[in-house]
Amino acid sequence: MDARMKALALLAAAVTLTGTGCKKGSSGTAGQDVGMASTREVSIGSVQLGRSLSGDKRVSGSTDKFSPRDTIYASVETSGAAPNTTINARWTYEGQQVVKEDSRSISPTGSDVTEFHISKPSGWPKGKYQFTATVGGSTQSKDFEVK
Amino acid sequence: MPNNNSPKADFSDVQSGSSSTAPQASPAGGRSYTVKKGDSLSKIAKREYGDAQQWHRIYEANRDSISNPDLIQPGQVLQLPSA
Repeated sequence: MDARMKALALLAAAVTLTGTGCKKGSSGTAGQDVGMASTREVSIGSVQLGRSLSGDKRVSGSTDKFSPRDTIYASVETSGAAPNTTINARWTYEGQQVVKEDSRSISPTGSDVTEFHISKPSGWPKGKYQFTATVGGSTQSKDFEVK
Repeated sequence: MPNNNSPKADFSDVQSGSSSTAPQASPAGGRSYTVKKGDSLSKIAKREYGDAQQWHRIYEANRDSISNPDLIQPGQVLQLPSA
């Protein structure tokens, strides 16, 4: 009976030790999240342009051709986590003229999508445009055209 | 060969917005500011902090979006560090 009690006590101690391994700052296996808040450098995975959005903030029907009356959406996929990071969005026309600059401060937790959109009631001038998203040291651009 | 004499397109009526699946970060004492016509970093610093020399704080907080501190654009959104 004593031996059985000792075995149970050892088992309980082992469970207690392994069950407290999830501390802030500890790392998961091969960089994977293990179900707790962590901080990883936030970077841009991809940028897509389109005329409308789906519920998950991604554009539905990616395109790089727009009409003068279109609202233009850009969805920026990011990976990484941080308590406070800023995504900067810059829209330019014909290589140098700034159309609009925006930024959004977010607390990403892993894989997120942030959308930026612009519209112009009087209609977009025809020509070549570019959308650039920057977060930290990560930048991605996408060219598009208004015809 | 681009024609440098051609007038710039007028984007003054452009409307914009954003949203995200990520929660909005709580401001850490700072706030955002939209640049108005006639603004400069030193004018904003004078108005916000009472000292035009503080312009470099705004510049440092916005290095991602300001390539030339003498050239900011109306409509540009800047993050203003807390005073």
